[in-house]
Amino acid sequence: MVRDMVRDFVDEEVIPKIEHACRDGVFPDEWRVALGEMGVLGAPLKGYDCPGLSYTAYGVICRELERGDSGLRSFASVQGSLAMYPIWDFGSEEQKQHYLPKMASGEWIGCFGLTEPDYGSNPGDMITKAEDMGDHYLLNGAKMWITNGTVAQLAVVWAKLDGVIRGFIVEKDDPGFSAPEMKGKHSLKASVTSELVFQDCKIPKDRILPGVKGLRGPFSCLNNARYGISWGAVGAAQACFDSAKEYSLSRIQFTHPIASYQLVQNKLAWMLREITKAQLLAYHLGQKKDAGTWIPEHISLAKMNNVDIALEIAREARDIHGANGILDEYCIMRHMANLESVKTYEGTHDIHNLILGRHITGIQAFTREL
Amino acid sequence: MHFQTPRVRSLIFIDGIPVEGTSKGNHMTIAVLLKQVPDTTAKISVNGGRVDENAVSKWSFSPYDEYALEAALQLKESAGGEIVAITAGPARCEKLLRDAAAVGADTLVHVSAENINDLDSTQVQKLLAAAVQKSGASVIFCGKQAADTNAGSTGPGVAELIGASCVTLVSEVSSDGGGYTATRPSSTGHEKVTASAPCVFAFDKGVSEMRRPNVRGIMMAKKKPIETWSLGDLGVDIEANGVNIDSHSPPAEKPPGQKFEGAESVSTVVSKLRDEANVI
Amino acid sequence: MECTVIAETSGNSIHPITAQLVGAASSLGATPTVVIPGGAGAEEAASIDGVSKVISVVGDCFSTFDSGAWASAIASQCSGVVIAGATPIGREVASRVAAKRGIPIIQDATGLKSGITITRPIYSGKAVETSTVSGDCVITLRANAFDAAGSGGSASVNVVDQSADISIAVKEAISKASERLDVSEANIIISGGRGIGEKENFSHLEEVADIIGAAVGASRAVVDEWGMPHSMQVGQTGKTVTPSLYIAVGISGAIQHLAGMRSSKYIVAINKDPDAPIFGVADYGIVATWEEAVPALKSALAAL
Repeated sequence: MVRDMVRDFVDEEVIPKIEHACRDGVFPDEWRVALGEMGVLGAPLKGYDCPGLSYTAYGVICRELERGDSGLRSFASVQGSLAMYPIWDFGSEEQKQHYLPKMASGEWIGCFGLTEPDYGSNPGDMITKAEDMGDHYLLNGAKMWITNGTVAQLAVVWAKLDGVIRGFIVEKDDPGFSAPEMKGKHSLKASVTSELVFQDCKIPKDRILPGVKGLRGPFSCLNNARYGISWGAVGAAQACFDSAKEYSLSRIQFTHPIASYQLVQNKLAWMLREITKAQLLAYHLGQKKDAGTWIPEHISLAKMNNVDIALEIAREARDIHGANGILDEYCIMRHMANLESVKTYEGTHDIHNLILGRHITGIQAFTREL
Repeated sequence: MHFQTPRVRSLIFIDGIPVEGTSKGNHMTIAVLLKQVPDTTAKISVNGGRVDENAVSKWSFSPYDEYALEAALQLKESAGGEIVAITAGPARCEKLLRDAAAVGADTLVHVSAENINDLDSTQVQKLLAAAVQKSGASVIFCGKQAADTNAGSTGPGVAELIGASCVTLVSEVSSDGGGYTATRPSSTGHEKVTASAPCVFAFDKGVSEMRRPNVRGIMMAKKKPIETWSLGDLGVDIEANGVNIDSHSPPAEKPPGQKFEGAESVSTVVSKLRDEANVI
Repeated sequence: MECTVIAETSGNSIHPITAQLVGAASSLGATPTVVIPGGAGAEEAASIDGVSKVISVVGDCFSTFDSGAWASAIASQCSGVVIAGATPIGREVASRVAAKRGIPIIQDATGLKSGITITRPIYSGKAVETSTVSGDCVITLRANAFDAAGSGGSASVNVVDQSADISIAVKEAISKASERLDVSEANIIISGGRGIGEKENFSHLEEVADIIGAAVGASRAVVDEWGMPHSMQVGQTGKTVTPSLYIAVGISGAIQHLAGMRSSKYIVAINKDPDAPIFGVADYGIVATWEEAVPALKSALAAL
């Protein structure tokens, strides 16, 4: 029932408008409202007016959203897994009651500030810093590549307090805080991407997240988001596959539909295989998440595999569409361009590779010092 | 199974989220007759002389029933009362009732009928009329015709059996003093007609599309009990079937495309559209 | 076989479908009684070949359409197998008569054989049902699916005054809105493409649409270039439509447009270019200029 609710929303409200939203580079606010009304934001979180759904349901929601557009699913991932989740897991009772209900309804948008201009794959060496000034904290630094930043009411920002990474809730109107939008993207165009700039930004003491210290905080959030992405990528791949199939049946060349030619059938069959594998992987991972028998490496494996094959499927689908594939009449290149970002964010493909490498060998290969 | 006349509690909407609450006191019970049919996008295949239900990939609300359900929800929101969703069919129909609950139906009734499409019109109407009477509803909403049979006899037929008036091809119904005002087509466009309970309103495309459920509605719908009524529970004798279905077959093959030269051929084509294709 | 035809009236006369109902009854070997709710067109009905007698049922109740009242008023005259038109009024009245008499009703028949064996479309035409009824029943017939009986008859006419209580009142008449059907809802669509020359020429397609109650669609090219409303666009980025009949005028049939209308039941193409791809999917292709073909289409449809 949840799948059908989201699928119908994407078919009726998103797909007819997405190409224009993409051309104009805007995230339609009506979608925020609709997601809030449907009650899918923060899907797996329990309590505080949050949906309290299973991880499998959360995965299905992500898949259906991303079948529409990765930017739409990014909005939901950031809101639920990166902004609501840290407050839910690491916040004080007052913070949970204050922020979560309004975020679940979509009234307040949140964002997640971890990545910096010079610190992406290596967040541990971040330079954004918080100083304890007695009756407030003072934040200085900048975050970059932040989805929802410019339109968000609040940001969960990770900064070093006395050298230890802590989470802080920064609100839109806090003095010294600004969130300019980053323009000129060729990918995730129907999504708001921003910088978060802190110049002697003063925030009250009660904004620190008391429940976590160190990278465990942001990494827990990222693992939740990455889980959703492993399902989302399947949705994008399905959209590309469906379009390629329909197109190949309609496109006549040399008096036959191109679907009748062996090379095209080979490509379609390969796509189907990979989508099936990716879906089963995501589904099994969802079962493990619900049972509590997962480890972060499972998530790395799924995110990395599924996004990787989704991107390959998009490229192959574009090829099947021929020249028509470059037009926004078809969803293909939009998905293809989006997936470039999805492959890089939430842990680049190579980083997940190394996470698995460390898991397999016991030896980390992220840095030169062993 | 004993059907208890529901008392004061009913679902009302706050900010679009269904919440348990007290009814507004006006005890209008609206029965909505819903039918589960193959989704209109599903392929229909014929196997062994019958449409193959096992091959149906997706089952949904019959589209005109959705308009009826949405109109009932809006009527309840404006005038109070409660909605009883009734469907007759096999076990798979229970999903339809859950979907109806997710958007706000209060009571769910499944009239158990394994082979609903094998029953003739008198049998279906007797079943549903009995169910409507058992539910205590005085106003009945339904779709103008089901997407599978395309017949449209149920609304007026049930009205006849329970001694109710009926208005068909309705696009909108509102509560009006002690009665109802419905909009239906007329020879000059549309007309608003008044009728009072008991009455049946059979919907064509309505002014509003059926609302989307939300997660809260879905969660509550999953827990909602479904009353299952058998022929015995309804105390109705539907007698023997008067129509024997000999077979189902796929539609006749269309003749290959025909090409004509010149505007003089237009009248030939128009005749063919009427006589060969039967589309005008 | 005892048979009654419930006539369909239109204003003060008999609707043409009535002669088709009588023709169908005759093909089953019956000489039906024709019952006219409200009594309009009795003489006309009496002149249909193969009618045994006409019963004009008159009364106050016939001034408003209330199927319950009409059925009450005419039911006692409707004996044996009852045949009516599968029109909005026909279907509703026939349903109530059937329920009143406790006999089954089969709607929208497209074929009838003695027995009685009835053929009708189901699942919106995706399948066909053949069934047999041995006792009395009510059958509504699809318009234009049966041959009309001729007009050499001279049956007797009986006027019966039989009103019944009306339970529906007309509160307000709303005249026809100028809004046309949307392409996504229409059973018949006539669409225009670049080949019709300019935006103003859509008025010709609208005239055709008005005659047959069709929606008017457009290809992407004219939506983009002539500023037609996007809601009219049929195709890959517009709407996907599945009407019973799609008439494409001046549309070449590029793959993006085909994607939107390929599943139409019947496709008619009017294009001056005999090699236009649209002819590859058309059931009836007319190679002609729209300037000549569309007026011909208008008069042919109006004459039906």
